[in-house]
Amino acid sequence: MSIRSTVAAAAGKSSYWFLHTFLHGGSSLPGKITTAIDPNILNAFGKKYDVVIITGTNGKTLTTALSVRVLQQKYDSVLTNPTGSNMEQGIVTTFITAHKSKRGKTLAILEVDEANVVKVTKYITPIAFVFTNLFRDQMDRYGEIYTTYDKILAGVKLAPDATIIANGDEQIFNSRELPNPIIYYGFNHELAKDVKAPANTDGLLCPKCNHILHYGFITYANLGDYFCPHCGFRRPTLNYQVNKLIAQTPTSSTFEIDHHEFTVQIGGLYNVYNALAAYALGRFLDVSAEQIQTAFAADKKVFGRQEVIDVDGKKVTLILVKNPVGLNQVLDMILTDKDPFSFVALLNANYADGIDTSWIWDGNFEKLQQHDIPAFMTGGERYKDITFRLKVAGVDDPVIEPDLTKAIDKIKDLPTEKVYILATYTAVLQLRKQLADKGYIKEGMEA
Amino acid sequence: MATYSLNLAHLYGDLLNTYGDVGNILALKYYANQMDAELTTTVISIEESFDPDKFDIAFFGGGQDYEQMIVSKDIQTKKDGIEKFINDDKPMLAICGGYQLLGHYYIGAHGEKINGIGVLDHYTLSQDNNRFIGDITIKNEQTGELYHGFENHNGRTFIGKSEQPLGDVVSGHGNNGEDQKEGAIYKQTYCSYFHGPILTRNGELAKRMLLKALHNKYPDADFTNQEQLEIKPTF
Repeated sequence: MSIRSTVAAAAGKSSYWFLHTFLHGGSSLPGKITTAIDPNILNAFGKKYDVVIITGTNGKTLTTALSVRVLQQKYDSVLTNPTGSNMEQGIVTTFITAHKSKRGKTLAILEVDEANVVKVTKYITPIAFVFTNLFRDQMDRYGEIYTTYDKILAGVKLAPDATIIANGDEQIFNSRELPNPIIYYGFNHELAKDVKAPANTDGLLCPKCNHILHYGFITYANLGDYFCPHCGFRRPTLNYQVNKLIAQTPTSSTFEIDHHEFTVQIGGLYNVYNALAAYALGRFLDVSAEQIQTAFAADKKVFGRQEVIDVDGKKVTLILVKNPVGLNQVLDMILTDKDPFSFVALLNANYADGIDTSWIWDGNFEKLQQHDIPAFMTGGERYKDITFRLKVAGVDDPVIEPDLTKAIDKIKDLPTEKVYILATYTAVLQLRKQLADKGYIKEGMEA
Repeated sequence: MATYSLNLAHLYGDLLNTYGDVGNILALKYYANQMDAELTTTVISIEESFDPDKFDIAFFGGGQDYEQMIVSKDIQTKKDGIEKFINDDKPMLAICGGYQLLGHYYIGAHGEKINGIGVLDHYTLSQDNNRFIGDITIKNEQTGELYHGFENHNGRTFIGKSEQPLGDVVSGHGNNGEDQKEGAIYKQTYCSYFHGPILTRNGELAKRMLLKALHNKYPDADFTNQEQLEIKPTF
């Protein structure tokens, strides 16, 4: 490290210590201080680490968490960024606060926001990229999927030798010619038929000839064994594949990848994709299937965007929802629950939630009719929007509580032991604050 | 079984489906149900023909730039059908990109002119590095109704003499940020930049479109009850 980099890192590190100790925070400011003193600081870090960048719309956090676990089977220490710190400054903070490694290069697995990939690869040449998926996201903040992919590729362009480990079931990742070596992962658990995606799905055009894609099968959204009946464009050969789905509950998934059985302690088909991505990265870095089994089986909770909280004996699952595809996957996941549960939807419309609430209409709440749900509740600043959404989906009289400071008492009154709460970002924060004030959880955002 | 049935054409529903616009169809179904009518939806995509006589009501939403460009080419082949549908006084709702494509043209993200079908007399320009984003309220002078929505558009649309605005801007930007108008009405075609979606937040408009479709299809039926349907505020 140059003197400048060393000074910069030291300044950032002490600011982190101050913030962390006295203000219980500090994930981006130390990065800001450090980059102000040495704008090229990431360059210095890049030389000390083998870096893997994980990006995409959904699943970054969980894929990163599982990947770290997988790679810990092989590496003594694996550096990663805390959840949510996936922009440039948060990543700088991650490096400056890392414990020093005595021997050679260390592995760093970084979750990076789509638009920030280029800001990282400008300084650091990663050994691999992992692409999870690209879905329609909060459109008042992000652009369309093609624009987002262009942003990612601007970063990839600076690292033409890095291997791309991409979701092969996502057609957009097969839409451009790139110099990079590419490894694809995906699903091959069903016999191929010839189906089309439901109309309200994003990204259905063949990237080669602009006709509507067909599928051998669809896993969810626009993911699956796609092919174009018009020009013959089709899904690439998969290097790693889920060949069997064995069991799914809201808290666990059992499946086979390349005929090895795995269980992860988290529900949701989308999380099987995340596990598959972590598996693919692990295999790419020479971790064996058996080691990955051990890593997945470790009885440790993986925090994605959900947590289970005990509220006076009620098992309350709080789940962050932020876009339609994620929302639909969460609905699918909770419907795998065999026990009766109450359903709570909390909608805010602050900047971090997305100020446009239209996306709730892309959520397939109609599915909830498949389940006998004894009680519904709605709340948050936009309780009128979410209440009417549920009404149109066939839910007539939800408990309505606009004021989230009163929500916990209402939740306690719900008739079931299990409660699922789907909430937007600031609604999660507000509810967690209430839960912390009442002593049900410790302060701080886990997910 | 409902007494009445209505067929809805969802123009390019598999390509133009951003911002929860499908909620408009869900709202139409919801209110149709309360009006003793069953609404059946058919998606009309690229390379499929649109027969205006088979449909009673239509929805045309917005999409991503890329998909809209593809639709711009295909829709030229459906121009006659759409024109007939509109001139037959059948109700249609066009949002955002759908609104733009019913007009003469719009300017794409890279400054290129993208053709609409020119059935409605408006055109759309772009603006540099800016979008009109945020909550919007407008008032329709004829009905006195207030409409609430969320706008998110780069396009600046200017309506022609044969069109009425959907409303005058109370707060927000509207069609172009200049003339304080939002949307367009031509015959029974309603155009708007509103997301939210427009019909879930403004049920009166959904009711009006459905009543028109019912009267068109069942000219001798008595829809007094349907006309008295109370629309409760949802926003």
